[in-house]
Amino acid sequence: MSITLGIFIVILLITLAITYWAAKRTSTTADFYAADSRLTAAQNGFALAGDWCSAAAFLGFTGLTALYGMDGAFYALGPLVAFCTVLFLIAEPMRNTGKYTLGDVIHSRMQTRTSLLAAIAGTVVVNFAYLMPQMAGAGVLVRLLTGISYDWAVIFVGISMIVYVAFGGMLATTWVQIVKAVLMLSAGAIILVLILTQVHFNPLTLFAEAEQKYTAKYLLPGNYLKNPFDQISLALGYTLGLSGLPHVMTRFYTVPDAKAARRSVVWVMFLAGAFFAGTTLFGIAAADFVGQDAIRAADKGGNLTLPLLAQYLGGGKGTFGGDLMLGFVAAVAVATILAVVSALTLSTSGAIAHDFYVNWVKRGQVDGKREVWVARATSVAIGLLAIALGVLAQGVNVAVLVILAICVAASANFPVLILSLFWRRFNTGGVIGGMVVGLASSVVLAMIGPAMRGADALWPLVNPTIVSLPLGFLGAVLGTLIWGRDRENEQRFDAFLLQVHTGVASK
Amino acid sequence: MARDEAAALAAAYVSVRQLIAEKLRYLVPMTILFMVGYVGLTILAGFAKDCLGTKVVGPLNLGFVLIALNYLLSWVLAIAYGRIAADKFDPLAAKAAMEISQSGTTR
Repeated sequence: MSITLGIFIVILLITLAITYWAAKRTSTTADFYAADSRLTAAQNGFALAGDWCSAAAFLGFTGLTALYGMDGAFYALGPLVAFCTVLFLIAEPMRNTGKYTLGDVIHSRMQTRTSLLAAIAGTVVVNFAYLMPQMAGAGVLVRLLTGISYDWAVIFVGISMIVYVAFGGMLATTWVQIVKAVLMLSAGAIILVLILTQVHFNPLTLFAEAEQKYTAKYLLPGNYLKNPFDQISLALGYTLGLSGLPHVMTRFYTVPDAKAARRSVVWVMFLAGAFFAGTTLFGIAAADFVGQDAIRAADKGGNLTLPLLAQYLGGGKGTFGGDLMLGFVAAVAVATILAVVSALTLSTSGAIAHDFYVNWVKRGQVDGKREVWVARATSVAIGLLAIALGVLAQGVNVAVLVILAICVAASANFPVLILSLFWRRFNTGGVIGGMVVGLASSVVLAMIGPAMRGADALWPLVNPTIVSLPLGFLGAVLGTLIWGRDRENEQRFDAFLLQVHTGVASK
Repeated sequence: MARDEAAALAAAYVSVRQLIAEKLRYLVPMTILFMVGYVGLTILAGFAKDCLGTKVVGPLNLGFVLIALNYLLSWVLAIAYGRIAADKFDPLAAKAAMEISQSGTTR
């Protein structure tokens, strides 16, 4: 406990020093939302890795693999494959057409106030559905790791993220993510080397031992996701949902141009992908060395698998090496949550302060100084709301929200974004149709599914993406057709395409 | 708008269409490849469990081998995309950007 706390305080001091440094360099709106677009592709790649690897990835994938075998490996693979979609279709067009938010892209295509509102709704719903379980997870995790109470843990995490975002904006958020990514990758590398020395650098031994201990069924799929359609739904949710997650996509505004955005995706694919691949080996190693019983005893969901494995590899419980490794991994886990919640707060404040207040309410007529002030104040308000929701969420089943976040991103934001970028006839009616149908079908199906209602589920799939995603597209297409031809919008599409693919805006 | 400016704008739009056609030529097969690779694997996981359990190398079964191949595929596609974009897409984008700047309508 005291080692964890010590290491964590060091990390906290580093991030606060970064925030102090970043705050002095954050004065304009472009600084606040996009770090003035002056990051390099490598910096953004590390920050993307820090942003995208939430606690669910860092702790969850290892735990799932340890307890359920191959299904955990599927969970880990999806988030890497998802970046193929982002690389091929989304990253460069996002960079070329938007300024600070997802709403910018939709708005620059449609130029209608209603479409902007729809985009704001998509961002806010996804971000809060993502933020609330992160806060609740932070509460549980910090309590387990350091012994302070759930409420205080949530408040502490909330205040830290408010400080990073409100003072340091995107620059501080980015460097918090970079620090976290470096720590996470170092922890992963150390654990990997320690595991390999245990098995004389033959990873196949891990599989053989797991099979011996838990029978061949452990290494088969279907131990966690029993319904085959849930496997497929999960795959779709990941591969297409990432492109609809505003807090990840806005990272592309922090680099100077589309080429840098492209290179930053290649960076994150190698950095995060290597870590995800690692979690599969860590999980199987933990099942071998620590044992499923000990993992379940510490936490039923397996979320403490990685810290326990680190402790074992460091020399075991009660040894200095074991305590040090446990403390290190635990502190990195807390840093992970801080990096992710900061990004969510910043991106939500973009949707409220930039999209809603400045562009919708004030129709863009706000001077720069006031806009920055509004953005900072909004991020404080969102942070306080997140703290309140996190405290209220104690003991509530938040698993459904995690599914909802990725499902809405895939079923509402993704269709609207992709059709905005590629379909000439797509119009404001389509934006509304896609958002409403995608959102409603995701929410309803998630709420009546097993994640919310357990055995009383009215609908068999935990993750409804396989149905809600086609429905979202259908809503977008029907909305477009019902709205009727928007000739002016269609004529503007040539100029828009030019901007999508070259970054040059024309009249 | 002067006549040559209008011509430059039209030329820029034509270049962008060429660029999009070129992008589709590469990106459609690449997208199909990774979608089939990953979604196909999860379909096998759902409906052909025993097939994925076939042992390939020692204790390693087909499922884990395919998972490893999917990692490899994503990384290869990422590198390939970077190369293709630099060689094929960027020159076309630069051409269109030059034409549009000649048309004098850039903001």
